[in-house]
Amino acid sequence: MSTRRISRAFKDISFSFDPHPVTKDLPVLVNERAIIRSVRNIVETIPTERFFNSTLGSDIRRSLFEFVDIGTALVIEEQITNSVQFYEPRIDNLKVEVDPQPDNNSFNCNVFFDIVGLDIPTTNFSFILEATR
Amino acid sequence: MPFTQFTNLDFDQIKTEIKGYLRSNSNFTDFDFEGSNFSVLIDTLAYNTYINAFNANLAVNESFLDAATVRENVVSLARNIGYVPRSKSAAKAQVTFSVPTSSSSRTLTLNAGLVAVGPFDNTSYRFSIPENVTSVIRNGVAVFGTADEPIEILQGTVLTKQFLVNNSVDQRFILDNPNIDASTIRTYVKGVNDTGLGREFAKIDNILHINKNSEIYLIQEISDERYELLFGDGYFGKKLENNSVITVRYIITDGESGNGPNTFDFQGNLVDENGIRTTPTGSIPITVVQRAINGGEIENVSSIKYFAPRLYSAQYRAVTSRDYEAIISSIYPNTESVAVVGGEELVPPQFGTVQISIKPKNGSYISDFDKQNILNKLKKYSIAGINQKIIDLKVLYVELDSTIYYDISKISNASDLKTRITSALTTYSKDIDMNRFGGRFKYSKILQLIDRVDSAVTSNITKVIIRRDMKALLNQFAQYELCFGNRFHINPIGYNIKSTGFTISGSNDIVYLTDVPNKDVNGNLDGSGKGTVSAIKKTDNDQLQVAQRAVGTVDYTKGEILLNTINITSTQANNAIVEVQAFPDSNDVIGLKDLYLSLDVSSSRINTIKDVIASGEDISGVSFARDYYTSSYSNGDLERK
Repeated sequence: MSTRRISRAFKDISFSFDPHPVTKDLPVLVNERAIIRSVRNIVETIPTERFFNSTLGSDIRRSLFEFVDIGTALVIEEQITNSVQFYEPRIDNLKVEVDPQPDNNSFNCNVFFDIVGLDIPTTNFSFILEATR
Repeated sequence: MPFTQFTNLDFDQIKTEIKGYLRSNSNFTDFDFEGSNFSVLIDTLAYNTYINAFNANLAVNESFLDAATVRENVVSLARNIGYVPRSKSAAKAQVTFSVPTSSSSRTLTLNAGLVAVGPFDNTSYRFSIPENVTSVIRNGVAVFGTADEPIEILQGTVLTKQFLVNNSVDQRFILDNPNIDASTIRTYVKGVNDTGLGREFAKIDNILHINKNSEIYLIQEISDERYELLFGDGYFGKKLENNSVITVRYIITDGESGNGPNTFDFQGNLVDENGIRTTPTGSIPITVVQRAINGGEIENVSSIKYFAPRLYSAQYRAVTSRDYEAIISSIYPNTESVAVVGGEELVPPQFGTVQISIKPKNGSYISDFDKQNILNKLKKYSIAGINQKIIDLKVLYVELDSTIYYDISKISNASDLKTRITSALTTYSKDIDMNRFGGRFKYSKILQLIDRVDSAVTSNITKVIIRRDMKALLNQFAQYELCFGNRFHINPIGYNIKSTGFTISGSNDIVYLTDVPNKDVNGNLDGSGKGTVSAIKKTDNDQLQVAQRAVGTVDYTKGEILLNTINITSTQANNAIVEVQAFPDSNDVIGLKDLYLSLDVSSSRINTIKDVIASGEDISGVSFARDYYTSSYSNGDLERK
């Protein structure tokens, strides 16, 4: 697990690899955008996907084929909370809300958190989880 | 921080190194967090580095004989120094039989191939011959083999493979079967103008004395334990003509499993002098001269690693004792261990002589026939003027007299504990430390071993006895010399040497050997380290008295017993053996020179006694000292029990 450290600037590389139109530099993700990306990476990584780190990620994919109801939503909520809390030390006051959408066969996820060491309001981002096959 | 640590082989260590580098050399900061995009890049880089390091490590390991583990690589590296690993060897039985026939032919030929089937251990094994055997028919009977010159049949099936030589392509001659006994490979080459199978080519293992016309071939092991034949190139050995036909005949065998059959049913294929198949007029009982023995498995990787450099350093010359070890193992595959002693080290010295003892894999002795074969083959390698002698194995047995104390509250059954201790000792007795020439019995290891068999064992008192089996020449006057190679412990009042019973001519009494150390006028040991051996007998009321004084001498320092001329008429032990034992001065026993050290568990005594102090029955130790006491020294019996 990563060491917990407090930093005032987080800077990550972007996987879009689109060069900056003027400087031709690789795009970077900074501060809350970097952390949002990191949280999404953790949630979307299937355990055993990473070499030599088989526990990294969350097992929500397995829950997507369950009934789209509040029970499954609670399971997903817990899975996201656990994995993000364990693997992302830069955030605090994490709150995850998963809202089942039975009509669309999907879950609407909202993640709220504070960034440790950055003086910005609570950040949130949302994404939809949907079984694609 | 500079990125200078190149020795890491572990994924995590490599990853930490990369992070350390980025920490001081990058604008990015998120590499430290597992969820970041940068972490994915680092993982990929570390994984790539890890795979490269692993492959490099593997490749380098497999490039050296010492470190290689894959058989194909070990064999290939051994090949570079001219070593051909031993193949499987077929078990060989020696038989004779007579074939009654009504054929008018003068001779009868037993064709190469299946000869007999022998059952053993609920399995039938096929026995074959690699070449035809012909016998003259006399009075309607063809006799194959005699008691002195029996026919050797080999366990396995004869196979034949043919190749058509095509010089325009890069052709390889590979025998597709594993399990081939390479010593049975016979190769015939039929040129364009030849008839029949053609001329037989000889298998060689080096190119000494070879010219451009030599009809030879070499074999080498390739992948999957198969063999490839290599023929001459016109400079070393005759080059094969285009369109020649190579016929290779060989036996595939079950190796070690084929040992044992002692009865055989004839299944051979007989033809007369015109090649017409002949049916015998009666049954063909097979007389067994020697049951099937000497079957062995293919040489394993560790053995190849051990012997290949030694055979190379021997350079096909038997000079040092290590050379003999390597060469004898290659010419007699059934060798388990070899001891070679130069004549100058013998007492008295025998200059120009080399004494060789061989421990075969199955059994203790090698036959006179095998001895002669080995000596004949050794002649090619030995230095002129050196005379080799193969002497029978001299086994120095180590026996234990062990008293084991156990806590009765921790086990349910003492006999079960005894069985487990015996089984642990039996396993140890098979250890490579022991079963070899120059082996060493390590006393402290045995004590530990017994103590650790079970937590119920509280202690053990173990005495060590060394024993040699003296083979008596019954009803003949003979002198005997028994070397133990270990200093004897001297008890001033005797009881150091004990033996099993035997009778000597002129008396029917059973006598035993015993010793009295030499003493000065005051009755103290005279310091010579020598003593007298006498024969004693039991009287009717079980008292022992001297039957014959000074039948020999004992040298306690050298560990040697000499018996003067004596005529032994019978022995109590089987096979005319007199077991002679002594107590070693040091509990660590070594196998000196040509002595083969062996831990004899079956003759060892294991007593289990409950530890009354440990179990709480006896708090003061009074009853322990009175009833459960064991001496650490030998008993006062004069005879060996």
